[in-house]
Amino acid sequence: MSTATMPDSTAAPRTERRTHKEKPDASALRIYGVRRRTVNLVMLACVVFAVFTLIPIWWIIVSSTKTVPNFNSTFGFWFARPFELLSNLKEVFSNQEDGSYLQWLGNTAIYAGAGGVGATVLSAMAGYGFARFDFRGKNALFVFVMGALLIPLVAFAVPLYLVYAKVGLDSTMPGIFIPFMVSPVSVYLMRVYAGASIPRELIDAARIDGAGEGRIFLRVAWPLMIPALITVFMLNVVSSWNNFFLPFIINNNNNLYPLTEGMQVWFWHTNISGSSENFTVLTMAGCMISILPLLLMFIALQRYWRGGLLLGGLTG
Amino acid sequence: MPFFVIFFMFLVVPLGYSIYTSFFTTRMIGGTVFTGFSNYTQALESGAFWSGMARVLLFAAIQVPIMIVIATFFAAMFDMGVSRFGGFFRAIFFLPYAVPGVVATAMWGGMLQTRVGVFVRIFEDLGLPDPNFFGASHLLGVIVLIAIWEWTGFTIILLYTALKSVPKEVVESAIVDGAKFSRIITRIKLPIIRPAIILVVIINVIGALQLFTEPYLLSPMAPNISANYTPTLYMYNEAFSAQFYSYAAAIAVVLAFVIILISTAFLLSQRRKGAIT
Repeated sequence: MSTATMPDSTAAPRTERRTHKEKPDASALRIYGVRRRTVNLVMLACVVFAVFTLIPIWWIIVSSTKTVPNFNSTFGFWFARPFELLSNLKEVFSNQEDGSYLQWLGNTAIYAGAGGVGATVLSAMAGYGFARFDFRGKNALFVFVMGALLIPLVAFAVPLYLVYAKVGLDSTMPGIFIPFMVSPVSVYLMRVYAGASIPRELIDAARIDGAGEGRIFLRVAWPLMIPALITVFMLNVVSSWNNFFLPFIINNNNNLYPLTEGMQVWFWHTNISGSSENFTVLTMAGCMISILPLLLMFIALQRYWRGGLLLGGLTG
Repeated sequence: MPFFVIFFMFLVVPLGYSIYTSFFTTRMIGGTVFTGFSNYTQALESGAFWSGMARVLLFAAIQVPIMIVIATFFAAMFDMGVSRFGGFFRAIFFLPYAVPGVVATAMWGGMLQTRVGVFVRIFEDLGLPDPNFFGASHLLGVIVLIAIWEWTGFTIILLYTALKSVPKEVVESAIVDGAKFSRIITRIKLPIIRPAIILVVIINVIGALQLFTEPYLLSPMAPNISANYTPTLYMYNEAFSAQFYSYAAAIAVVLAFVIILISTAFLLSQRRKGAIT
């Protein structure tokens, strides 16, 4: 990919968040001579798209407070009596028909946590290595790793399952989260960021002072890479948390399901006649809860988020 | 000595990855060598495979451009500061990124389903017939809608941050030269972030061609979703329902080949135009 050949120095850590202190509306009017009508039309577009974005989320919140008969008969975008949120949530956590929701939630947390931490550590080491060490075949190796970006996940899935079946890793926890740890995008991001934020002189100075390479990585490089580390961590937690396809192919033990697989099974119950009617509301409540942890993570880590990293290396 | 230990680790991590990759590639070829290329010829001659392929190509051709246009529009408006409460709207638009595709599909599927779905009910109240969202004519549109809901916000943020990194001086000198608002966006800013747009297009095309989760989840409520609705669905069914693992692996390889071909062709065509180096 073209991205592999870009120079290292382009993606400095940016603080784009703080640049918009002035009243945006007034400044656009003044600087660019934008007409009021244009501003209003853009505002309208924003509101329309925001409504489109929020509709399913609002609907799922409303739905998870309803009884099944009410879900089937009352207006979907507004609440109806009786307000059954608590008993629905209780049912979500106590239903044992296909495995337990609480266990799926725990599994997902383990997979996303292990995938996030593993991908961050591995790509930090690889990215730092690519950025600050010169070794033979470095560029070829980097292009090779980046080439994996173009290969669809689908191409890995079935072979991975077959190999797992051979070595006994199919339907095991490590079998599910180890693939999440391999993230070529993260290696790329860490290489770009390490190249821009860790001065060579600093490493050389540490070497002269007699620090070992492991110490330099942990004490000098790691702290300097923290904004990128957090961004890479968040990206990988989200992609592991939301992944359905890979666990779905690799695992068929319902005690090891992540939430996505569990919700798929519940959702299918709602559509197959003869299964317990409860599943409509149950699926809605379960889906709603499954979104919350990631939202909380985003709110908590928001100020460390450097979305600009993702494309900074391409546009700078 | 510790240097070599660490150095070794740095080498081993990417190398481990490459072994990992090559291992599976050899496995695929190793697994198919016994039967020669018969699995590949079977896949390439299979109408079931190509009808799925045609469908995901159509899906990508509809979904990706619509999403890129919407995302570019909002990113440019946020970047130019035309929108009031920009930060608020960006946060809302970004929300679906935190929603798993399974959950997004369950939500839209639940809202659009026949009889009890809220939209169907609204049609009913207005005296209109049930539009049958999961019928043959609307099905792909529904999946496009779900995909747009899932990925537009993330794309907006990516393009917005790319636009933010355009040097201020360039825009300032354009203003001094008297360039109009729309000209600054279309003639100055967008060409500068063109590599970013190309990357976003490629990532989304690669994702779109692997379409699986949405149609798989919807299949019980939409009888029109056949076992070969998309190539990935076809591969899955051949592998796990029919146990034709090596045939499924061949399908995956052909699909991967098509995807790599399309993205490389797109990259090369853009490079010829001088958009990227």
